[in-house]
Amino acid sequence: MELAWYALLGLFFAGYLVLGGYDYGVGLLLARGADAPRRRAALNAVGPFFLGNEVWLVAAAGILFGAFPVLEGELLAGSYPAVAAALAGVILVTAGVQLRSRPDSARARAAWDRVIVVGSLLAALGWGVVLAGLLQGVPLRADGHVAGVTHLFTPFAAATGLAVLALVVAHGATFLTLQLPTVEGDRLRPLARRLLLTAIVAVGAATVAGLLSDRVRAAAQRPAVGVLLAVLLVTALLAARAALGRRRPGLAFAATATALALPVLLIGATLWPYALVSTVEPSASLTVTDAAASGPTLRLLGWLTVPLLPALLGFQAMCLWIFRGRADGRAPVYW
Amino acid sequence: MDTLLLARLQFATTASVHFLFVAVTLGLVTLLVGMQTAWVVTGNHRWERLTRFWGQLYVINYVLGIATGVVMEFQFGLNWSGLSRYVGNVFGAPLAIETLVAFFLESTFLGMWIFGWHRLRRGAHLALLYGVAITAYASAFWIMVANSWLQNPVGYEVRDGVAHLTDFAALLTNPALWMALGHVVSAALLTGGLLMAAISAWHLNRRTPDLALFRSSLRIGLVTAALAITLVQGFGFAQFGPVGGVQPTKFGGDSPQAEVLIADWTSRFGPGDYLPPALSNVGLGFMILIGFALGLLWLLVPLLWRDWIIRLRFPLWLLMLALPLPFVALILGWIAREVGRHPWVAYGLLPVDQAVSPISPWLMAASLVGFTLLLGTLAVTNWMLLARYAARGAADPALGRPPAQPPADDPRPEPAFA
Ligand code: HDD
Ligand code: HEM
Ligand code: HEM
Repeated sequence: MELAWYALLGLFFAGYLVLGGYDYGVGLLLARGADAPRRRAALNAVGPFFLGNEVWLVAAAGILFGAFPVLEGELLAGSYPAVAAALAGVILVTAGVQLRSRPDSARARAAWDRVIVVGSLLAALGWGVVLAGLLQGVPLRADGHVAGVTHLFTPFAAATGLAVLALVVAHGATFLTLQLPTVEGDRLRPLARRLLLTAIVAVGAATVAGLLSDRVRAAAQRPAVGVLLAVLLVTALLAARAALGRRRPGLAFAATATALALPVLLIGATLWPYALVSTVEPSASLTVTDAAASGPTLRLLGWLTVPLLPALLGFQAMCLWIFRGRADGRAPVYW
Repeated sequence: MDTLLLARLQFATTASVHFLFVAVTLGLVTLLVGMQTAWVVTGNHRWERLTRFWGQLYVINYVLGIATGVVMEFQFGLNWSGLSRYVGNVFGAPLAIETLVAFFLESTFLGMWIFGWHRLRRGAHLALLYGVAITAYASAFWIMVANSWLQNPVGYEVRDGVAHLTDFAALLTNPALWMALGHVVSAALLTGGLLMAAISAWHLNRRTPDLALFRSSLRIGLVTAALAITLVQGFGFAQFGPVGGVQPTKFGGDSPQAEVLIADWTSRFGPGDYLPPALSNVGLGFMILIGFALGLLWLLVPLLWRDWIIRLRFPLWLLMLALPLPFVALILGWIAREVGRHPWVAYGLLPVDQAVSPISPWLMAASLVGFTLLLGTLAVTNWMLLARYAARGAADPALGRPPAQPPADDPRPEPAFA
């Protein structure tokens, strides 16, 4: 049962990286200095999905607290600066996207757009470092608490943060080639392809940094799986690039979405059976079972929430269906 | 510097800002459901305009509800990791249910509602708003289940120093829950109603050309607020019984039950100060005063007859001046409830100093200052935008503007996709 909940946690966090990922990617692309109508069009392409995307994070955090309370406490408190930065980013993006068009003046709107850029940057880097923190282990002591924050500042964490950033931008650009009206989408294709190349390089760099790091090698229970998944990630990005070259933006978006979901799978599978590995006290490492809530809690959550999952996912799918197709101006422009 | 104190301060500030926004959310969404239903049923254009104008304010207000809510959710793990460790098995369950059952759907529906004007059939569009409202109430319910468990832990058993869930039904029949839920929800309705009445009063006082529109919302807001304040008073006084029963130390600790309890705690947790600071009850007194003062709203209701309330003008001023009162009362009430359970996070089970994360005070201070500045700035900006949109009137809200219509407020209309 712990495994099922662990998978569900992974599903929701991966879903957040995929969906929130293109929000942040689109947000970062506002920094290109496109004119005001284009910036607005880009945000409205995210339009109806924006609120539903971000809530995957809220749900993932809820599952983390309800089903893995011990992991929640130690992971978040143990990665404090990274989580706090990511959180600040999430908030800036939420407020920025929803409020940027409320003032009338072009200057105020441009200022809000900068808020969105900074927020997207913080969110991408922050979650990247949190993911790196999982892979390189944390100094979990025998008393069950994590000490210090300096353990986060390693070359591997920096490389992973940048890799997630590059992934997110490339994903956002691919999303726009799919979602904007055809003419605009085509204009963005060369940029998206360049960004995908950058992402490939960044992911490669992070993989090398990981292979060189003693901490990552010590924490990884299945290094081969980790390397395999990193290879898959690069393959997905190459596929996305090729698909864009053949004017298949839908396929390209599916590939970048896979690329954003893969890190979660990679970490889960590489660390299994551990959820959080201690770098100082091997016996203090938390296995997934240790980290999980006790049986009655998981059963209760199972009864109350699992029957609802089809509805949750179904309504999100309905949103995708209703607002499917390129943004064509049939829905109101609001963001 | 003391990590514990800083963590408490941070929770108090974020929670207070969160509640100022979500109370308005809960109140307004209820009224919006009524307005949009009236529009769909009668087809009357005025209801559509009302829905768009108040919906616009609702959606702007909603932004900070989300932003502060996300910080609150993560704060449990960041600052209160002991809470997850010792009582997470029980306390985490209602929070997880809340996020999956309520927030997830609420946000999905709201996004579709905002962008669904002119694209969905009227009935489907209305159903989305019902979805948003129902899930908003569901989230209030589950968060109050969680909070009431901290006030009065039930349905658990401690094994190896960790609380395990034994009886979920006990969480739902918690004596600390139902009167508080009624009180919170009616306080939110009061706040939403009074906000609507006060903004309408401002427009009417300036002799707005949109008289018919704001006359309607004045009436709706005032009647809602009046009904709600009665409920607030009823549930408020009804809380003293159950809360005093399960938390004898809360409203002053000189009763025999409180002495027994403190003796028991002293034997189990060692000697200490087991009474909450006196400050919390001062706030309670003020809130009750505000509650009585707002009871006078009923005196304005008869003036709705023949629009005396508008013709006399001074009642409009009274409504505008009363607007801050419910917000002050909201904060005071929560401080009474939360500070009143001290020194416990979970009453009689987990002291605050065991719940706080063992992180450096400097980090905690940086986090407190950083998030307070961030959320404070956003909150003030948000209120300024709300005030500006409220003052602009109902001529052309961005919400629900037909896709073909260029925004009237924009000298160079932006084509959506140039
Ligand atoms: C518009 C806001 C508002 C107004 C006018 C009142 N209250 Fe209140 N009160 C709240 C908003 C509120 C609140 C913010 O919603 C609280 C915090 C927690 C809760 O359950 O409700 C609260 C808490 C709260 C508590 C503390 C419960 C606890 O410690 O667990 C009591 C005893 C009362 N209220 C009683 C009253 C009475 C007798 C009132 C007036 C006649 C009154 N309140 C007016
Ligand atoms: C949104 C309305 C709320 C407000 C305004 C509020 C207010 C406060 C305040 C003032 C404190 C600091 C008390 C002190 O330490 O002196 C506090 C602490 C806390 N509250 Fe709340 N609260 C709210 C809702 C909740 C809910 C719904 C929960 C649980 C689900 C909760 C859980 C906590 C916890 C865990 C702490 C920290 C421990 C402590 O200091 O006791 N609060 N809150
Ligand atoms: C510790 C306490 C609390 C936590 C952790 C918390 C958490 C959250 C979160 C994460 C959100 C954003 C959801 C989204 O993304 O859509 C939110 C919104 C909301 N919260 Fe809270 N909340 C707390 C206290 C309360 C209380 C006391 C109430 C009311 C009784 C409340 C009512 C709401 C409502 C109605 C919303 C949705 C509307 C909006 O975002 O403005 N919350 N909360």
